[in-house]
Amino acid sequence: MVDFLRDFIHILRASDLRISTAESIDAMHVVSFTGLNDKSLLKNSLSQTLAKNLREKEIFEDCFNKFFKEGYMDIENMSGKEKNIEEISDAQEGIDSLNNSSPDDLEILYKKSDKNSLMTLMAMAAREVNLSEIRLFTQTGMFTRKIFDSMGLEKLNNDIFLAARTGDSEREKELKEIRERLRLEIRDYVENQVKLRTTNAGRQLREDALSQIRLTQADRSDYKLMSKIIKKMAKKLISVHSRRKRKSRRGILDVRSTIRANQEYDGILFKTIWKKTKVDRPKIVALCDVSGSVANVSRFFLMFLHSLTEVLPHVRTFAFSNKAGEVTDLFEAKEIEVAATETLLINGGGSTDYGQAFSDLEGFLENDIDRKTTVIILGDARSNYGDPRCDILKSIQEKSKRIIFLNPEPKSLWGTGDSEMLRFVPYSSKNKVCSSLVDLERVVDEMLRSNI
Amino acid sequence: MSDSKSVSNTFAKDSIEAIQVSFEDKGYICNTHIATAIFLSQSLGKPILVEGPPGVGKTELAKATSEWMEKPLIRLQCYEGLDESKALYEWKYGKQLLYTQVLKDKLNSVVSKADTLESSIEKLDNFDDIFFSEKFLEPRPLLKAINSEEGAVLLIDEIDKSDDEFEAFLLEILSDYQVSIPEIGTIKGKVKPMVFLTSNNTREIGDALKRRCLHLYIPFPDSALEEKIIISRVPDIDNTLRKQLVSFVQDLRKLDLKKVPSVSETIDWAKALVLLNIKVLEPNLVRETLNVLLKFQSDIDASDPEIDSLIKTPNK
Repeated sequence: MVDFLRDFIHILRASDLRISTAESIDAMHVVSFTGLNDKSLLKNSLSQTLAKNLREKEIFEDCFNKFFKEGYMDIENMSGKEKNIEEISDAQEGIDSLNNSSPDDLEILYKKSDKNSLMTLMAMAAREVNLSEIRLFTQTGMFTRKIFDSMGLEKLNNDIFLAARTGDSEREKELKEIRERLRLEIRDYVENQVKLRTTNAGRQLREDALSQIRLTQADRSDYKLMSKIIKKMAKKLISVHSRRKRKSRRGILDVRSTIRANQEYDGILFKTIWKKTKVDRPKIVALCDVSGSVANVSRFFLMFLHSLTEVLPHVRTFAFSNKAGEVTDLFEAKEIEVAATETLLINGGGSTDYGQAFSDLEGFLENDIDRKTTVIILGDARSNYGDPRCDILKSIQEKSKRIIFLNPEPKSLWGTGDSEMLRFVPYSSKNKVCSSLVDLERVVDEMLRSNI
Repeated sequence: MSDSKSVSNTFAKDSIEAIQVSFEDKGYICNTHIATAIFLSQSLGKPILVEGPPGVGKTELAKATSEWMEKPLIRLQCYEGLDESKALYEWKYGKQLLYTQVLKDKLNSVVSKADTLESSIEKLDNFDDIFFSEKFLEPRPLLKAINSEEGAVLLIDEIDKSDDEFEAFLLEILSDYQVSIPEIGTIKGKVKPMVFLTSNNTREIGDALKRRCLHLYIPFPDSALEEKIIISRVPDIDNTLRKQLVSFVQDLRKLDLKKVPSVSETIDWAKALVLLNIKVLEPNLVRETLNVLLKFQSDIDASDPEIDSLIKTPNK
């Protein structure tokens, strides 16, 4: 029972369910109450202990059904004999009946259509050869063979050999058929196990790799998966930051509550109550370079920002290569992926001119920039030797709360060639290298964290 | 081993069925999911976190359980800003103040016999002080539930409305059924209360809290279950009307509405129709009474053109 649960929880974890040790202990307790015989009872109770929201419940259901998939060793269908089928999972009974017959005589078991015993035998053999270690589909054949061996293939082979030698071709044919059918059943079982254990592992590996990769290198074919990762990251950030934080600094004296609170002390005001002001979420203005060299990074950054509307309601985004244009409405009106692609089409393509972009931005913002506004500029700061107009950047800095400059280039390249990065650095309160999805996540997380 | 296992297995199954039957007697129709959750919560001594859309009977479940267990229901409604002094305990300041007055008088007699400052301080030290003691403790719902002699059903309603800090502070209570009061020490419950937490999912509950609870999701009931609920809650209703009404509501939930009708609203509607002495649903009648079921004008407008097609003829 412990083995079975451990294995099952292992599979659930591989399918993205976060199950703590405490929860698996609970699951053990639950199983000791419910037993293993009643499938639906087991499913109900485990689902209540292990899956803690609707999405997890769906995954759980799916895994449970696959894990306890019935229908292996369904010999009745093959041989057409009539016999009562009992619950397969009834392991105890299976073992009992196994002890009565000779354990590895596959032929007898097959002929008796003893589905239970065959299933149990197969499950035991699978454990013996560590089927739970299977990682690749190419291992299917090997594990099938190993399990078959452990179930008593040798005896069956010997019998076939014997029959062939005595010239009993009828029996030989029959035995060979039995062997083939059993092999197919075992292979199905192994294949199902592979599917169960590896579908998610591969994806997880790929996701990990993609979130670390330099975005400028990302391939078009990965966009779909990457936007999925972005959604996941955004969801995580939303759940972390969705509560408004109370300001740690206290506000002015709350006279009314102070008087009320001090009634207990005969009206002597020695317990003061201060008003706490709620922090407004930051207003964010993002200016993204969408020229060829950094287009990809901007694309994902824009997608990221617009996935966070729950925690960042006041976001205005601008895209530029030589001229800046506002894209906020585009993202509100359309699907994020579509909007991102269109942004690149409309605003991208020209040669970058930071001076022009800054002056455009100033025109757009005019009155919409105040002490609560965080201005984020994403770009490689390569202005093609045009005037970077640091004076405008300075005036933006003076009006806003802070400027954050994100540069996908590594620090060693800042200031080389036509890069104006070193001239921008003095005006921004934070300069970060930001080249992968993980970097993006970190930057946004920090931004949300430090808005107190 | 095989024996003990099969015994516990049938025991579980029987208890779950028994729970279902006795809940039905109390007028709460529950499916096996819910009954299993109650059974597990009782046997493991764990709280249940109940989630689901509004109006599917999350709060009702706690009420029915308290009735079934014949234990008092203690309810704590959560809201933003709920804190310890409202949820757990509060000092009885007035009485404490009076106590200090009394103490002042007594103090003279205690200290007067002492000659030196030192000995008077020592006397003061030995003097039994009850300023912070359970006598001056005003228990709030959580402390009440833990302290109750015969056990209780504690309902922490809409936990998602409370602050994160409150959630963190619940952890101690939910896992160990004990409360730490800095001035006194730890108070441990004599009988574990049965705890329900409900959430409408306006925000995700923290993992730490979820980990300590069983998780029960109650969706909208299917038509068979909803009919059973109507029978138990509105026994006077006509058979054909009941079938019509339930299938109407079920279909209505499939429309794209701002707020789909809940079970409690179905019950209200059924009661209203019985009151109006109606036997069969008709489009006009539905239009007139739809405001019992739908609470947004835009929803009523949206469903209006569908009403004729949604009403099934009674002979079906």
